[in-house]
Amino acid sequence: MSIEALVKEFAEVAANPKAQLKKYKDQGKKCIGVMPYFAPEELVAAAGMVPFGMWGSNDKTISQAKEYCATFYCTIAQLDLEMLLDGTLDLLDGVITPTICDTLRPMSQNIRVAMSEKLPCIFLAHPQNRKPAFGLKFTVDQYTHIRKELEKISGAPVTDEAISEAIKVYNKSRAARREFVKLANAHCDVITPIKRSAVLKAAWFMPKTEYTELLTALNAELSALPVCDWKGAKVVTSGIICDNPKLLQIFEDYNIAIAADDVAHESRAFRVDAPESGDPMMALAQQFAEQDFDVLLYDEQSSSNRRGEFVANLVKESGAKGLVLFMQQFCDPEEMEYPSLKKALDDAGIPHIRLGVDQQMRDFGQARTAIQAFADVISL
Amino acid sequence: MKTIYTMGIDVGSTASKCIILKDGKEIVAKSLVDVGAGTSGPARAISEVLEAAGMKKEDMDYILATGYGRNSLEGVADHQMSELSCHARGAYFLFPNVHTVIDIGGQDVKVVQIENGVMVNFAMNDKCAAGTGRFLDVMARVLEVKVEDLAKLGAESTKNVPISSTCTVFAESEVISQLSQGSDKRDIINGIHHSVASRVVGLANRLGVRDDVVMTGGVAQNGGVVSALQEALGHTIHTSPLTQYNGALGAALYAYQRASR
Repeated sequence: MSIEALVKEFAEVAANPKAQLKKYKDQGKKCIGVMPYFAPEELVAAAGMVPFGMWGSNDKTISQAKEYCATFYCTIAQLDLEMLLDGTLDLLDGVITPTICDTLRPMSQNIRVAMSEKLPCIFLAHPQNRKPAFGLKFTVDQYTHIRKELEKISGAPVTDEAISEAIKVYNKSRAARREFVKLANAHCDVITPIKRSAVLKAAWFMPKTEYTELLTALNAELSALPVCDWKGAKVVTSGIICDNPKLLQIFEDYNIAIAADDVAHESRAFRVDAPESGDPMMALAQQFAEQDFDVLLYDEQSSSNRRGEFVANLVKESGAKGLVLFMQQFCDPEEMEYPSLKKALDDAGIPHIRLGVDQQMRDFGQARTAIQAFADVISL
Repeated sequence: MKTIYTMGIDVGSTASKCIILKDGKEIVAKSLVDVGAGTSGPARAISEVLEAAGMKKEDMDYILATGYGRNSLEGVADHQMSELSCHARGAYFLFPNVHTVIDIGGQDVKVVQIENGVMVNFAMNDKCAAGTGRFLDVMARVLEVKVEDLAKLGAESTKNVPISSTCTVFAESEVISQLSQGSDKRDIINGIHHSVASRVVGLANRLGVRDDVVMTGGVAQNGGVVSALQEALGHTIHTSPLTQYNGALGAALYAYQRASR
């Protein structure tokens, strides 16, 4: 398949998650909604079901969810509940609700109450101290609970062998996505910001074997192209999610390519692999323990601003000239982290802009002005 | 050498402004219509500036659009640029020692850092209208005064009635509450000016403020806001009679740069 055809396939999946859900249900598969962040999707795959990412929506307005949510919940969480209430996600067979931030924690209970008997809700509490032995054990306990709940839904045991196999499948998929991110930078004339987003977003709505096969084909096609001599600007994006095509269109309008990302919905989700040997449950716990440089994760050395430096280095190493931070409205962790990130970027001489966004935004006039002006600044 | 005429059009959210420049140096004509993007304002401003200059659109060597509605002038403008770049350029033309521009327009606030006449960094407000021209419009309506009279009335204040809300809607309630308690309108206006200043100072300090500081945009015509801002920033603020035209001026200067390539 041509690059164009492959990208089109990803874009169709990314733009039509509901149709994608129906497709798998029509195939007789069970599907499990997976909310952000760090849920062990491998367990869902090992249970023979399809994990289905839940990262809000750019096309919906919060209405029914208001009955359950405080107004200061981020729109991602509120729109997840909205889609559970308005029928968009009616075909799901269960939902995993991680609780790693102060919105997701109460939201897990809002969803449980709202869904009542309609949908099994699987609670997941990651440990704050994820690296010590007791943290690893806690994660294993949590994942064991998820495993049991998934077994109830699938009606069959989830074997260690199946989990080990799923880990291999996911590691391969993560590696392919990391490779794609590099290729998208080298071929940013072909993989525009909208296309890049669609390819990465599709991963949340496809079984990873199917996704990786398609992505490997795209990577091979891209590898065969000569590296482009990009004349426009290059930036790194940061934040929780930046998948709105209308917002990304502004990047394209002003010849801004995305060299790399520090986005939870994109690279932060596939930075770390799980060990492929040993106890597979411990391997998954180990994978979570090894996650790092994330706004939401406890950092014993937070006073040294390691994350800020990590992001600054990402900008330098990717060849970008600046960073665009998409700050989700009402996201306390991101807002509290911002001064540290700003300091690291300023110290490294990296220009950046912070754009306040939420998923109900339909007009991007001010973002357009800021992005265009930023392109002027970094093109000096 | 052939004379180069360029036009800068600044289609703001509440006003449309045009400037025609001769050889990137001399202002030939200017126009201002008090309605902006999505209205007849831009077309009227263009007609008026051409009429004032006694010229036709075809006489323009290059037309450059800026402002919130800059993308709506396809077929009229040869190019469009963000108002941040244009305000930096316009302010540098008027004040060659400028290092900080504070532009308060109809619906947003922007702070621009300038080095050698070029924008090197900026900050702008998000969707919130607090501290903008719209904020002053809303307050003037509640107080039943004309927005252009706010500066004069505020100057007659004997004390500052603090308006603490940063949200336009809540601040409006606060003003209504002050009125019902019998506070003097002039003192409330003084409080409103300080409220705008405190909002803008937060944004400016994020970037860092370096002299010379120039204030542009329609709100710069309000001496009450300028002096409250001066007090809060601790820096002298320079303004120009052309303050509202600054974006259009910058656009006309960039147009000249492009036309003379």
